[in-house]
Formats: sequence, structure tokens, C-alpha cells
Amino acid sequence: MSEEFEPNIVAFLCNWCSYAGADLAGTSRTQYLPNIKIIRVMCSGRVNPLFLLNALQQGADGVLISGCHPGDCHYLEGNFYARRRFMLMHKLLEHVGVDPGRVNMSWVSASEGVKFKDVIEEVVTSVKEAGPMDQFRRRQLNW
Amino acid sequence: MVDLKELQDKAKEVISRDDVRRLIGWQRGTYGFESAPIVVTDASDADKLIFDPTCVQNPASFITLEEKRPVPRGQEPDTRKVAVMVKGCDSRAIVQQLVEKAYPRENVIVMGMPCRGVIDRRKAAALFGDVTPDEVKLDGDKVVVSLNSETKELARGDILADKCMRCRYPNPLVSDELMTEEVEKWGADEFADVDEFEKMSPADKWKFWEEQFSKCIRCYSCRNVCPMCYCVECVVAKLKPQWTRRSTDISENAAYHVQRAWHLSGRCIECMECQRVCPVDIPIMTLNRKMTRDVKEMFDYEPGVDVEAEPLLACYNPQDPEDYIM
Ligand code: SF4
Ligand code: SF4
Ligand code: SF4
Repeated sequence: MSEEFEPNIVAFLCNWCSYAGADLAGTSRTQYLPNIKIIRVMCSGRVNPLFLLNALQQGADGVLISGCHPGDCHYLEGNFYARRRFMLMHKLLEHVGVDPGRVNMSWVSASEGVKFKDVIEEVVTSVKEAGPMDQFRRRQLNW
Repeated sequence: MVDLKELQDKAKEVISRDDVRRLIGWQRGTYGFESAPIVVTDASDADKLIFDPTCVQNPASFITLEEKRPVPRGQEPDTRKVAVMVKGCDSRAIVQQLVEKAYPRENVIVMGMPCRGVIDRRKAAALFGDVTPDEVKLDGDKVVVSLNSETKELARGDILADKCMRCRYPNPLVSDELMTEEVEKWGADEFADVDEFEKMSPADKWKFWEEQFSKCIRCYSCRNVCPMCYCVECVVAKLKPQWTRRSTDISENAAYHVQRAWHLSGRCIECMECQRVCPVDIPIMTLNRKMTRDVKEMFDYEPGVDVEAEPLLACYNPQDPEDYIM
């Protein structure tokens, strides 16, 4: 294959910080890589780790969960719960042999449009290194 | 050693109480090296109760299994207690269920059985084949198996379950009454098996798990036997949304195992029941122990030891580790 592998990344962004950060990147014409498919959630604490598994099953090569910085959560503590959860999920997926570079998490505030762009670059690079995810992708999509 | 007569008399006394509905314990198994669980509802059945190294089942699993039927109009709900016999590891399940407020403490009567180890049926089958022993007992540092009027002495590690060799809580952590005297602790757990597994490369790990997960027939025995898997509706049974499909291909099997290990992180009390019952010998504990180790390392948390503790994922510490977060 001569074409370079372009990963497909699902990003769960919290409404109040990271989604607004992505918005700021957009309005201030900061180009970020188009590999990510954004799903807006109200809080990073709303992201069930099963979302992540399901994304990987349905063909994502990597995932990103992004929320407000600790202490800045719109709901005060949602991101603290999320942090615990995804620390564990990250370790668990690593244990079954999923490249740790596929599961990413970041704190991006509403004013960090540039950081958002950097985070996406970093995520895309690490997922590219990991290569296409075919470990537990669903083989039969329409059943 | 347990005096069976004393144990059965005690059980009779408990089950005869007006405020006790049933008693869960062990009876002689019909086949192989394992006992069978028994639910005693009548004092005459109490004579069937036993306690020896074949008592592998975790009776705490049965407490939450009872179906809560709607009470017909004009009838009072049955609020009588359930008595349950527990070994050390089983008692941790009760502690964790109490932590999760599965039922109020006063609903159960816990009869503690200090324990010195139980048989691993796979080790036993490898040594003896498909046989049913006449008697199995622990004698000091030896396990004595009587079979066809012959007796054989074995070292504990040769036939006892791995969890027993590293057991740190042989005495029940919660109990209303201990049936025998407390035993001396012997085990320590350094998680050497987890460290060993982690030395593998991601590709090798996946190769191992792909092979293991592919064997799974999704009978859900591991879930049904687990004392901590008592959700009214399990996610794998849900149709809307359907998180995992029912087909047993590698994708769904991997998702099932990852989600189950994840649901049990910070909750699994390492009774090893899941691995024991698996018909296709999947090393489920290799996932669970990794989570137990990490939970301990990252959050300094051990499930099932402290009734006052908060569930791991229902609390947080602002100083929690976040080393991979950007
Ligand atoms: S008991 Fe074994 S085969 Fe059955 S669902 Fe669990 S892992 Fe799969
Ligand atoms: S996951 Fe297995 S070892 Fe852990 S509590 Fe459930 S049955 Fe016991
Ligand atoms: S696997 Fe998860 S959802 Fe299913 S019973 Fe166990 S804890 Fe509940």
C-alpha cells in the first residue's frame, strides 16, 4: 500500500470545556487534523467505558476522551470520576494487548484551542504508530 | 478440624428460629472433588451440611440471586433473614455486597468458617483423573485424599486452589458467629503472576487473549456464579442499547471479557469462582488479578475488606494518578 494509513479516531468531548476548545480552534482558524470524529457529551464523567469498547468494535482505530481540567468541571467532580474510570480501562486494554496509544485522554479547557490542535496531532501520531485496529473490530457489520 | 455434629446442630438451631427463612451451605457433592451447595429450609435437612476442603462454592453468590417477586395484595413481604456459611474469601463478597448496599446487614446471618484451603478440581483431575474420593481432609501441611480405601498424602500446593496458597484472609472478615476457632494466616500476595504476564509484548498478549477469548461459548457461567455480578439486568443481556451482540465471535467475546473485568475492577474479591466454573478453561483471573493489582497500586484500595469503605468508582481523590492524560 503506497497510501499512508489515516486513522479513524472517535473523540468524546465534554460540552463545557473540550468541545468549546475545539470550537475555538475552529473559529480562530487553527487547523487540526481531520482524523477525529467528535461526539459531544455533557461531561467526561458521562462517558461510559463501554462507549470506547464499542467504538473500537465498530471500526475506530483509536479513541480520545477529553474533559475540563481537574477542578474545573462544570459539574464540579465529573472529570474526577472519569479519570479513575479511564485509568483503569486504559490499563485493562493494555493488558489484553490493545496498544496503549489507542486509548487517550486529555484535559482541554474552553480557551485552549491551540492545545486542542496539539492534542489531536499527538493522538493521531500515536494511533498511526499503532496501525489499523483489527483486534476486535466487528467482522460482520450488517447482520 | 470442624466437628460436623456441632456444625449441624448449630445450623438446626439457626434454621429453627422464627426469623430465619433459609440457610445456605455445602453438602456432599455427587461427583468429583467438589461439594454441592445446599439451601436448607427445614431443620431435618441440616444433617446434610458438611465442611471440608471440597467446599469450593461461594455461598455468598446465592444471597442476591433470589428473585424479588411482587408481593400480592393483602400479604406481607417475607422479611425473614437468610443465614449463610462463609469461608474467609466468601466473607469478602459479603463485605463488598454490604459496601454496595445490596441488602441491609441485618438481613443476613453470617456463620463464619475459618478455612485452610479448598481443592482445585483441575489440579485434582490431573492427579487422579475422573474419580470421586471417599474423603478429603487437611492434616497439618498435608492434604489427605482417601480413594478406593487407599489414602494418599499430598502437599497443599499440589491440589489446593491457587487462591488458597496466597490467601490473606482465611478467617471471615464479617461474621455473626465463628463455627470453629480462627486459623493462623499463612499467605502473602505479591502479584508475581501479573508481573510475569506483563512482561509480554502487546502483540503476544493479544495472541494469548485471542486464543482464550475465541474459546468462550458465552454460557455466562462466570457471571452467574460471581457474587459481585448481581445486577438486575446485566449489560450483556440488554437489547436497547445492545452493547455486545450475542454471537460468539472474537469481537463480541473480547468485548464481553473486557467489560466484565472492567465492571469488576475494585469489586472482585478473588474468590476465583468464575475461573473455576468456566467449561472451556479460560483464565479469567488473569484479567481480574491485573485489575486488583492496579486498583491497589493506583488507588490504595482493596475491595471487600472494610464495610465502611466507599465503592471505588463512586468516589475519587483529587490526587488520583493521571500519568497518561495529556
Ligand atoms: S464461563 Fe467461560 S465459556 Fe462461559 S461465558 Fe464465562 S468465560 Fe465464556
Ligand atoms: S470475578 Fe471471579 S473472583 Fe472476582 S468476585 Fe467474581 S467470581 Fe469471584
Ligand atoms: S458483567 Fe457487569 S453488568 Fe453483568 S452482572 Fe456483572 S457487573 Fe453486572
